[in-house]
Amino acid sequence: MIGRRWDGRLEMTAVFSWGFTSLAVATFLGMLVLFAAQSLPLWRHAGAGFLSGTTWFFRAGQFGVLPMVYGTAIVSAVALLFATPLGIGAAIFTAELLPRGARRTRLAVKTAVELLAGIPSVVYGLLGVLLLRDFVLRLLAPWDPLSGDTLLTGGLLLGIMVLPTIISLSDDALGGIAGSQRLAARALGLTRAETVLKVILPQALPGLASAVLLGLGRALGETIAVFLVIGRQDNQWPERLLSLRPLTEAGQTLTSKLGGSETFLALDDPLHWGAITGLALVLYAGVALVSWIGARLALPGGGRA
Amino acid sequence: MRRSVGRGWIDRAFWLACALCAACVGVLLAGIAGAILWRGLPVLRPGFLTAVSSEAGASGGVRDEIVGTLILITTALLVSAPLATGVALVHAVYLRSLPARRRLLVALYTANALPSILFGIAGMVVFSRFFGWGKSWLAGGLLLGLMILPTLSVALIERLRSLPRKYREAASALGLTRAQTVWSVLLPQCAGGLLSGALLGLARAAGETAPILFAAAVFSGAGLPSGLRDSPVAALPYHIFVLAQDSFDPSVESHLWGAACVLVGLVLGLSLLALPARLRAHEEAQNA
Amino acid sequence: MLRARNLLLTAGAVALTFLTLGGAGNAFAAKPLRVNGSTTVNPVVTEAAEALRAERGMTIHVDTQGGSSGGIAALGDGRAEVAMISRPLEPEDRTKYPKIRFQPVQIGSDAVALVVSRDVWDGGVHALSKEQARGLYEGKIKNWREVGGPDRRVVFFNKEPGRGTWEVFAHWLYGDPKKAPLVNLPEIGANEEGRNKVSSTAGSITQLSSSWADGKKVFALAIRRDDGKTVRPDNVSIRDGSYPLSRPLSVVTDGPPRDESKILIDFLLGPRGQELVRKQGYLPLAAQGAARQ
Repeated sequence: MIGRRWDGRLEMTAVFSWGFTSLAVATFLGMLVLFAAQSLPLWRHAGAGFLSGTTWFFRAGQFGVLPMVYGTAIVSAVALLFATPLGIGAAIFTAELLPRGARRTRLAVKTAVELLAGIPSVVYGLLGVLLLRDFVLRLLAPWDPLSGDTLLTGGLLLGIMVLPTIISLSDDALGGIAGSQRLAARALGLTRAETVLKVILPQALPGLASAVLLGLGRALGETIAVFLVIGRQDNQWPERLLSLRPLTEAGQTLTSKLGGSETFLALDDPLHWGAITGLALVLYAGVALVSWIGARLALPGGGRA
Repeated sequence: MRRSVGRGWIDRAFWLACALCAACVGVLLAGIAGAILWRGLPVLRPGFLTAVSSEAGASGGVRDEIVGTLILITTALLVSAPLATGVALVHAVYLRSLPARRRLLVALYTANALPSILFGIAGMVVFSRFFGWGKSWLAGGLLLGLMILPTLSVALIERLRSLPRKYREAASALGLTRAQTVWSVLLPQCAGGLLSGALLGLARAAGETAPILFAAAVFSGAGLPSGLRDSPVAALPYHIFVLAQDSFDPSVESHLWGAACVLVGLVLGLSLLALPARLRAHEEAQNA
Repeated sequence: MLRARNLLLTAGAVALTFLTLGGAGNAFAAKPLRVNGSTTVNPVVTEAAEALRAERGMTIHVDTQGGSSGGIAALGDGRAEVAMISRPLEPEDRTKYPKIRFQPVQIGSDAVALVVSRDVWDGGVHALSKEQARGLYEGKIKNWREVGGPDRRVVFFNKEPGRGTWEVFAHWLYGDPKKAPLVNLPEIGANEEGRNKVSSTAGSITQLSSSWADGKKVFALAIRRDDGKTVRPDNVSIRDGSYPLSRPLSVVTDGPPRDESKILIDFLLGPRGQELVRKQGYLPLAAQGAARQ
């Protein structure tokens, strides 16, 4: 270990470091505790019915989380279905399939992807409102949608937003595979496709999985962009869970509800506020779980941590 | 050497498919950049940046919003930098066991992914109501600082990890205490990492709407904050968010795009400043 | 060289700064005037605030989170000094915040219109009765054919809860917004969003401030009253009250307006403020006889 052994005096740097870290940890955990505490009136009133309820009528005191969980799930699923193949394909292209000497191109692509990742969500929301909405309306015309604000619109917009995350992390994952693997494969006569598909991808799988999971985490938590294009229609619980019909209809996600005007209206009503913080609690727990799994996959246990 | 025809076709098809993906991504990026620039640039006269918003957003500029955003991200940096340094030092210096360090890093990644709206709601409860601050710039700064804390911490940890062991060994051989090593050897070497991590974090903080939605920003009337309580700021993302729904006038739309241009410019500027350091670090890591 | 003592001194200095900011912050800062509420009234009040800010250096914060009911809630909570509402005050407001002496001041009038998209208008639907409106809202009338329009599915975009526009509409249909049945409809927040959505969706209808119906993208329907008369939402019918969905646009304070609130309200009631009301397309108080196109 570096430095001399601890000689009994208080080391201010250590005190401050541990103090700050404890403060940071306490704050993040404190948020969770805060939501749990503030949502107590709801749990007392509705209990587990909140988690299984399919209706939300705040004027009547009915609170159910399922339609919003459904909306969040559908929108994220669409986003991942859109962004995963596109993102991993693009990452494979830049990492594996470009000619060896194209370092500048790779750099340019990497820069472009980083910049795309940095565009604020409100600007994506603006693009969604002004451009994507009409596009989806025309796309779905055969199915006669009510408007361009649908779960599909939200999903596509989210897909575009998580694309840079998936590309960047996939690129890192692919880059982590030793070059000797590729050389050996090519020396054995494998084509580029076979090298990638049979040698590289299987090894990069944990990294790719974590890229997808972290992208999913971002999709689950995105508020502003989804709020603007999702239609904000409550109680959209489908009759058949696996039908595609809801994609053409408006919906509501956990985040779009939290970012809306009900949060202000609920401030003075303990039950209503409890429902809102209950949503926050569910969102926190869900995203934390998904991201935790993704992070564990990204950081192998037996490496340098 | 003769390859079977089938494998050749698969190879070409695969290359094509991946190239198509990359092309799609490129087109998307170009389209987004083009849309923002095409609609927003015509509005960007110099006066736009220095004029106050008037006619409820239909004319004027975004001066207050820019000032507000700058205040928020500066506060966020001041809050976040010391905390992030503490966390990074705990990881690099004070935690002895590998599993503990890994758990900390996993926790940081998880915290980094938390939805920003949660910060907004928690901030409303704690700062606006419990502390009684109403809408306050400091609440916004604290929330944003907390939000980017994981980003800064991870950047600093990565940089500390990449420092050659010989520095620590030399310091130890010279008889420096742990604290002396930290302050004289480790932290000065990591200034670059802290800077680039900070710039990235600030880029994200500048563009966030959800944390400041409830506890820090108002749409109209906020210039420089005076004091702590009931001192909100205007902010670019909130301005855009409100106008995107509440635009009262066709002329608002062009101003909306101008504001979006300014915001994207600010965010990209911050990211670009960090890029050289990050790419260098990335290359170092790849070659290690 | 950095030593623990220096670190502690720095930390102490920073903490002291924060405490000073927090504590003394109130002492020397001019208290800002906080306004919150309806997005319909907002443009008028925001422009008034801009003028007062430029000319008299007043600090006025205007926000619209939560609509009319949000404004009342902010006033009741002490988060605002002035609330903007686009509906009359209701007994429920007073019972919810018994300590607040709500004092509304009307600054203009406006009406809630049922606006439809072009295809519905061109298809022959120019007026609706209360029963028909109720049927459309509750989803019992699913096709425009049933009210004399084109063969097209009805799409009802509902105004968000808490918006004055919705409350006026619910009041008209059911007498009391609380008696309104629970419906599942896509929601619209502010006026511009409503206008955009209706103009781009065939067969759609929504509740919208009548001054936003421009007759080009969206069209305001007349109301067929119980006595058979058809009333269009225009200045005359709003002024004489024959249009059932007219509403006052007001600002509300706790008790009589004082200090900065009084300055703002006097401005709004004065010629410049009333000109702003007229500029937005609402009916100013004095309502001169000149009709607008």
